[in-house]
Amino acid sequence: MVRDVFTFLVGGKAGEGVKKAGSVVAHIFSSMGRHVFQMDDYMSLIRGGHNFSVVSTSPGRITSQYMKADLVVNFDKRSCDTHINDVADGGIIIFNSDEQENVDGIGVPLSSEAEKYPMKKLMYGVGAVAILSSSIGLSKDQMNLNIKNQYPRGIEDNIKFADTIYDIVKVSHHNKYPLERGDKERPIITGNDAISLGAIAGGLDTYYGYPMTPASSILHFLARQAKNFGLAVVHAESELAVINMAIGSAFTGARSMVGTSGGGFALMTEGISLAGITETPILCVLSMRPGPATGVPTYTEQADLNFALSAGHGDFLRIVASPGTVQAAYSLTAELLDLVWKFQTPGILLTEKHLSESSMTIDLNIDDAKWAEPKLYTGGDYKRYLDTNDGVSPMLFPPSKEIIKWNSYEHDEKGITTESADIIAKMHDKRNKKLNALIGHLKTQNTVNIVRGEHTANLFTYGSTYMSVLEALKYGGLNPTIVQPIYLSPLPVWELEEFKNQDNIVVEQSITGQFASLLKEKAGLNIRSVIKRYDGRPFDPIELSTKIKEEME
Amino acid sequence: MENLKTSAEVTWCSGCGNFGIFTAVRNAIPKLEAKGIQRKDIVITAGIGCHAKIFDYLNLSGLYGLHGRNSSNAEGIKIANPNLKVITFSGDGNGLGEGLAHTIFAAKRNQDITMILHNNSVYALTTGQYSPLTEKGWKGPSTPAGSFETPFNAISLMLEVGATFVARTFAGEISHLTEILVQAIEHKGFSFIEVLQPAVPYHSWSEYREKIEILEKEPETFEEAVKIAKNRHKYLLGVFYNTKRPVYHEGLYGDHNPLTNRLSRNERIKKIKSFLFG
Repeated sequence: MVRDVFTFLVGGKAGEGVKKAGSVVAHIFSSMGRHVFQMDDYMSLIRGGHNFSVVSTSPGRITSQYMKADLVVNFDKRSCDTHINDVADGGIIIFNSDEQENVDGIGVPLSSEAEKYPMKKLMYGVGAVAILSSSIGLSKDQMNLNIKNQYPRGIEDNIKFADTIYDIVKVSHHNKYPLERGDKERPIITGNDAISLGAIAGGLDTYYGYPMTPASSILHFLARQAKNFGLAVVHAESELAVINMAIGSAFTGARSMVGTSGGGFALMTEGISLAGITETPILCVLSMRPGPATGVPTYTEQADLNFALSAGHGDFLRIVASPGTVQAAYSLTAELLDLVWKFQTPGILLTEKHLSESSMTIDLNIDDAKWAEPKLYTGGDYKRYLDTNDGVSPMLFPPSKEIIKWNSYEHDEKGITTESADIIAKMHDKRNKKLNALIGHLKTQNTVNIVRGEHTANLFTYGSTYMSVLEALKYGGLNPTIVQPIYLSPLPVWELEEFKNQDNIVVEQSITGQFASLLKEKAGLNIRSVIKRYDGRPFDPIELSTKIKEEME
Repeated sequence: MENLKTSAEVTWCSGCGNFGIFTAVRNAIPKLEAKGIQRKDIVITAGIGCHAKIFDYLNLSGLYGLHGRNSSNAEGIKIANPNLKVITFSGDGNGLGEGLAHTIFAAKRNQDITMILHNNSVYALTTGQYSPLTEKGWKGPSTPAGSFETPFNAISLMLEVGATFVARTFAGEISHLTEILVQAIEHKGFSFIEVLQPAVPYHSWSEYREKIEILEKEPETFEEAVKIAKNRHKYLLGVFYNTKRPVYHEGLYGDHNPLTNRLSRNERIKKIKSFLFG
C-alpha cells in the first residue's frame, strides 16, 4: 500500500473557482518537487451544480487521482454531503460552518468571511488554498507568494482572506500532513496541452475545430498560441466545415489537424472518407465522452473505438492510435502527424476526457517528436496519384506550373474522374498497398507498450485506462505484465503473438468490451475476463486494484 | 485558351449552359494573366453535380470535393496559403442546399475567394428534382404534385449575409459573363456570381433569352442593391454590389502566411521549451 500519496479534494458550485483551486494546489505540490495528478469532475453547466477537483501527489510518479482524499474541502453543504465518505483513513473533512454543523471535521465560516469582500464567492478557492497551506505546514509567506502568483485579481483582499482562513485552520490542524519534498519541479499540463504541443512540434500549420467537450481545450490552447507559433487556428461553423477546411489546407501542403468528440466526429466521417480517396494527410483528435448521442458531455468513456476504426464510408486506410499517458500524447501526436503525411491517409488520435482534461506533472523530452514530412515530387510530368511500389504518390503543392488535381470521385493517376473498371480496381490496389507499407514501417516502431511483470496473468488495456491500471497495480503491489497497444489500426498483431494463448485480462471503459473484442478478432487472443467501468468516471486505483486482484487469483 | 482544357471527355448534354461558363472561364484566365495574376496561383474547388464536371475539364490545379463542401475546401486553401487565388464552383443544390451553411459563412467571413454558382434551378445530375432555387410548381420525381416551397433569392441572400461582390450573369452572354468573372476574381473579399444556365433536358435557352435584362446601372448603396434584388425579376443581370470590408485571413493573422512563413522544427522546439520551462 502506497502511503506516500497525499490527496486533496475540493468541491463546490460551478463558478466558485473549484478547478482553479485544484490547479493552484497542484502547483504548490509540484513546486515542492513532487509529482501530481489532477482530475476535475464537473457538470455540463456554467453556474451552480456540483464540481470537484481531486489532486493526488507523491514524491514518485503518480498516474491517477485517488478518490479517497486526505484533505476534503467543501464550499457548500452539497459538496460535504457528496464527499462525506470520500475521506481516507486518517483524513479530515473541512466544511462550510455557515451552511451546516455537526459534521465530524473542521468547520470554517467560509461564507460569512467571504461576504466581507466584494468578490464574495470568488474568494472560496483562495480559502481552499489557505486550508491546504496550513494543513501541510506552509508558512504564511509561502502561501501568500502562491496566492499572489496564481490569483492576480484583487491580491490584497485575497491575502487578507487567506490569512483569516489560515489562522482558523491553524488552531487545530496546522502541519497535520507534512509532505516530503520530491526531486525537482516539473511542469503540469493537461492531455490536450500535450496533444497541442506535440502537434506543433510535429509541424502543425492549421487547426480547425468546433467547440465540443472534451476536445475544446485543444482549440482554446492553439488559438492562444497561434501567434506565437505562426499557426492559423479557426473555429468554423460546424464539424463538416472543420474537416473540409482542414482538407483544403492540406491540399496546399499545410500540416492540418482537427479535434472533436463523438457527435462532432460523426459529422466529420464524410470528410474522413474524402481524405481516404483524395489521399489527404489529415489528423483528427477524437476525445471520447460517454455516448450515445449527447451522452454525458463532461465525463469519460472508451466506447467510440469501433466507430473510430471504421470511420468513413468505403475501403481505405485509417491509422488509429491512442496515447496511454499525458506525456506519451505529446510524442504520439507528432508521430501520427508524420505518419499521415508519410502515407497520405487520415489518422485518428483516439483519447478520452480522462486524458484530455486531467493534468499531471510530466518528464517530457521535448526533442522526442517526429517532424511530418511527405514524399515529394522530384520532376517530370506530374501525376498526383502516380502508382508506386508502396502505393504512396509523390506530393506537389500549388503554386506550380504542373497541374495538381485531388479528386473525391474515383480517378486516374492524373486525378481526372473515371468510371473505367480497370482504373477503379487499379486505384483500389494502389491505395491498398499503403497498408503493407505502413505495417512494414510500424514493425520498426514502438507500437505496443509492454511492461513485463512476474505474474502469469497479463493485463491488456489502452488509452488513459493505462494510467489507471499503472496506479492500481502500484497501489495493490501487483505485478502482472501490462500490454498497452498504442496502435489500434492497424493493430500490431506481430507484437501480440506471444500472448495469444496466455491468461489475459482486459481493463477498459466500455460496456460491450469493444477493446476486448478487437483483441479477440484481430489478434486471436484468449481473454479470460474483462474489467469494465461505464459510469462516466475514470477508475479509482484502490477499487481497480481490488478487482484486478480478484481476477488474478 | 486551348491549354486550359484537359483531355477529359466532356459529358455535359449537348447545348448545356455549362459550356458557356466553361468558355467564359477560359476567356477570363488570360485576361487575369494580363492583369498580373499568375495562372499557377489559381486554384479551383468544386462540389458535386453537373456544375462540378468543370473541374475535370479545366486544366487548373484544385480539389474536387464533396457535395456542398467545396466552399469549405476553398476557405481552407485560402487560410493556409493566402497567396493563392481560389475559385469555387457550385451548383444551386450543392451550394444553397447541402452546402448552404458553408456558403453563408464564407460570405459572412468575407473570405477572399470567388464562388461561381451555376444556377440551372434543378438537380440535373440526379434526374430533375427541385432545388433551393426552383420556382414553385416544379413537377420533379421527388415532387410529383409540384413543389410548393418558395425558392431562395440567391442575390439578396448573399447580400444579406455579407458577400462583398455580388453579381448575376448568364451562360448565354459570354462576354458579360467573362467580364464579371474577371471583376469577381480580382475583387478582394468574398465574390459571388450567380450564373443562369439552362440544363437543356429541363429548360430551354429561349425561356431565359426572353426574360433576361441587363441592370441599367450598379446600385449605389447596399439598401438599393437589396431592394432591386428582392423586388425586380430574377433574370436581371449585372453587378448588384461591390464593396470593401476586411477579409477573413487578415483578421486571423494579419499579413502572416502560415505556409510560406512556417516556423522550422528547431524554432518550434525552442519555443515549446520556453513555454513549458520558462
